[in-house]
Amino acid sequence: MDALVGTYALNLLYQCALLALVALGLAIVFGQLGIMNMAHGEFLMLGAYAMVVVQRAGLPLWTGVLLAGVACALLGAVVERILIRPLVSRPFDTLLATWGLGILLRKSVEAGFGRGYQSIDHGWTGTLQVAGAPYPAYRLGLMAAIAIALGALAWWYRRSPAGARVQAMVSNPGLAEAMGLNTRRLALGAFVVGCVCAGVAGALLAPLVRIEPAMGMDWLLASFFVLVVGGLGSLGGLLAGAALIGGTQVAVASALDATAGSVAVLLLAILFLWRRPHGLVARP
Amino acid sequence: MAWWRGPDVWLPWCLLAAALVAVPVLGDDYLAYQLGLYLLYGLVTQGIALTWGRCGFLPLGQALFFGLGAYVSGAVLKGSEHQALWWAAWPLAVLGPAVLAWALARVLFARRFESGPFFSLITLALGMLGFQIASQWSSVTGGFNGLGGIPDLPGLDRYARLYWLIVGVVLLATAAWVALDRLPIGTLWRATAEQENRLQFFGFATDRLKALAFGLSGALGGLAGALYAPHQGLVTPPVMGFQLSAELVIWAAVGGRSSPYGALLGAVGIGWLSATLRQEFVYWEVIVALLFIAVVLRFPGGAVSLAAPLWRRLARRSASPRAVPAPTRPGPRDDEVLVFEGVRVVQHGVTILDGLDLRVATRGVHGLIGPNGAGKTSTFNALTARLPLAAGRIRWCGEDLAGLTADAIARRGVGRKFQIPSIFPALTVAEHLRIATWAQRAHGMDLLRMRTQHWRTPLRDAVEAELPFLVEASGRPAGELSQGQRQMLELVLTLLPEPRLLLLDEPCAGLSTHETAQQLALIATAVARLQTTALLIEHDFSAVERLATQVHVLHQGRLLASGTLAQLQADAAVQAVYAGGRK
Repeated sequence: MDALVGTYALNLLYQCALLALVALGLAIVFGQLGIMNMAHGEFLMLGAYAMVVVQRAGLPLWTGVLLAGVACALLGAVVERILIRPLVSRPFDTLLATWGLGILLRKSVEAGFGRGYQSIDHGWTGTLQVAGAPYPAYRLGLMAAIAIALGALAWWYRRSPAGARVQAMVSNPGLAEAMGLNTRRLALGAFVVGCVCAGVAGALLAPLVRIEPAMGMDWLLASFFVLVVGGLGSLGGLLAGAALIGGTQVAVASALDATAGSVAVLLLAILFLWRRPHGLVARP
Repeated sequence: MAWWRGPDVWLPWCLLAAALVAVPVLGDDYLAYQLGLYLLYGLVTQGIALTWGRCGFLPLGQALFFGLGAYVSGAVLKGSEHQALWWAAWPLAVLGPAVLAWALARVLFARRFESGPFFSLITLALGMLGFQIASQWSSVTGGFNGLGGIPDLPGLDRYARLYWLIVGVVLLATAAWVALDRLPIGTLWRATAEQENRLQFFGFATDRLKALAFGLSGALGGLAGALYAPHQGLVTPPVMGFQLSAELVIWAAVGGRSSPYGALLGAVGIGWLSATLRQEFVYWEVIVALLFIAVVLRFPGGAVSLAAPLWRRLARRSASPRAVPAPTRPGPRDDEVLVFEGVRVVQHGVTILDGLDLRVATRGVHGLIGPNGAGKTSTFNALTARLPLAAGRIRWCGEDLAGLTADAIARRGVGRKFQIPSIFPALTVAEHLRIATWAQRAHGMDLLRMRTQHWRTPLRDAVEAELPFLVEASGRPAGELSQGQRQMLELVLTLLPEPRLLLLDEPCAGLSTHETAQQLALIATAVARLQTTALLIEHDFSAVERLATQVHVLHQGRLLASGTLAQLQADAAVQAVYAGGRK
């Protein structure tokens, strides 16, 4: 019984950690820059396909993570120049443009790889004994990596000069520019970092999920719900949102079924938008 | 003037009707059958054009309403083969999606005055959820195999006569779309897309306006779905799918997001091409996605905007001389007293209003002065529900305003002129004046009557005589006005609803000496004529001296002193604040 509870708790923690990882890129782009990147899920999808490419080429799988990061960085930079920057004064149109970008990426991958599912054969099927029950080692490793990455990012954002500049740009772009900050470069950098986060998350998730061109939609929505519930603009909000959304999803899905889990999450998000539009943790 | 007058209204409609009639006559029945499907998609797209092109919010899960209509209609038609009573449920195929859409929009828009990404993503999620439920709830929907063997509508063979029903519905929907656009509600929808915030300060509940539009778009989706079921004879989960939702948005964008004709053009043109080319040419959809991005970046009007110059030439018509007296507004009441009791406002840890006590009990202009940061504009924001109160109470006419929304407060006779003129740049000056005349006068059905367009009030006649540019520039977009003219227009817009409490935030900022005199004269005559109470924020003491009988000095979020300007100028505490002697 204890082992069952332990496994259940670990599953819950795992789900929340995944959500936090997936939402991180969107938290940067939407939470910091205020750009709703509708192609967020497609960047994740590209990251997962980077693993497929690496596997087909017979290279070691860790190079896939690298490829995902580099590809998404380049693509993110191009997208920022062509789509985001010209529309900076028309925020509603960035929603549309990135929505179009999402379709473009989906259809391009569909044309290149076909609509069928892909999978990654990693050899990491080992388990570790946790709380008296075996648990997949890859999941445990991933959870640890997510914890370390989030911690490092939070520390960097608070302490580094670059973090301070981004914070300055976010709270008052005009003043930041007047003080000599190159806000264009900062915005570009933040957007690229967001895209890389999404791509790397996709690569890390690849061995665990079904890989297909339309896989991004679910992840975009999950990330969005995390931000709606948690609140924009802080790591605390991201974690709180991931915990509440992940917890609801897992609890309802295990009590009823997966569809009921999705319904519960959607209702929760609508409830938050209605009654508590700033989320659990309001922007400081 | 009836809404259908003018060749720009009836000519495109007649051309559409002629084209749709010509298809089965010149072509064959099978061509008409195929076209019928894309006309149905066009109906759904017209719903998107209404919400996105007119009201400024983009639904990304519109296929949900289409699919819902299709499933209900399919189930009813199948049921009616055994039991005719089933027909009673057929209207649900249209009403169900309409009510769902309306309720959803009410909930989602209740607390916001913007139309950003939140709404779009929630509708996207709902669409995906609909698909999931349709696929898994097999006992009702037939799961992945769907509802098959749906019979024809009685007497309407799907390969021949059903087309005529579809054409009839499409023509009616197009006419209704154009009619709504030309009625007062259409002007309000466009104003919502431009400056929702300002519209709320006229007293319009914009969340209800948007919910109405979304409800109508849901009805259009449901109607199209209800005809889709007998047209195809089979309803499967992809009718709700996000793939279709995405395509609907592309069709609206490429065809023209703010035109019912553009919606039809996009659905029939791109939709039909895609159906054939997607199989043969693997990169077709990549090209469509690129086309969509190009339209968003460079060509927001879509294909129909190519015809815009022609349209404008057709639209030239003489201004209507007709005038209909507008309903009168209630006059002065005995209990018109504004009271602030210990009002505290805190934002981001900074105390802006720190226990403000203020009582305004006499009619006429009250000056509200104080150094920068004293909390003058914040006083207005707190009064009009744009800043939450941390403590204290604000009462107007004896009623506590706590918990009321900005539009509800405006409906209680509080009018506000903003410091920075907030107008609707793309709307004409005449449309601005109309909106202000409708404010708090037009109720329910008034917004659906052409008569309401011609409402006049004595105050409006007087103001137009005073400020000739309001008539001269009446057909021009307000975005083209000069800064001074915008300030005057903004003041006029605030005066026309004849508020009982007038909040004026620096009405003369940025005006020339001549314009300032004109503006002050307008305020003085309007306040006297309406016998109203006005609060005037102004840094220019000569303006305060000219208008205000009573002046209140704010300092650090509190009331420092009240009295006549002469009394205050002699007050040591006031002198200290203005001379910087005391902090």
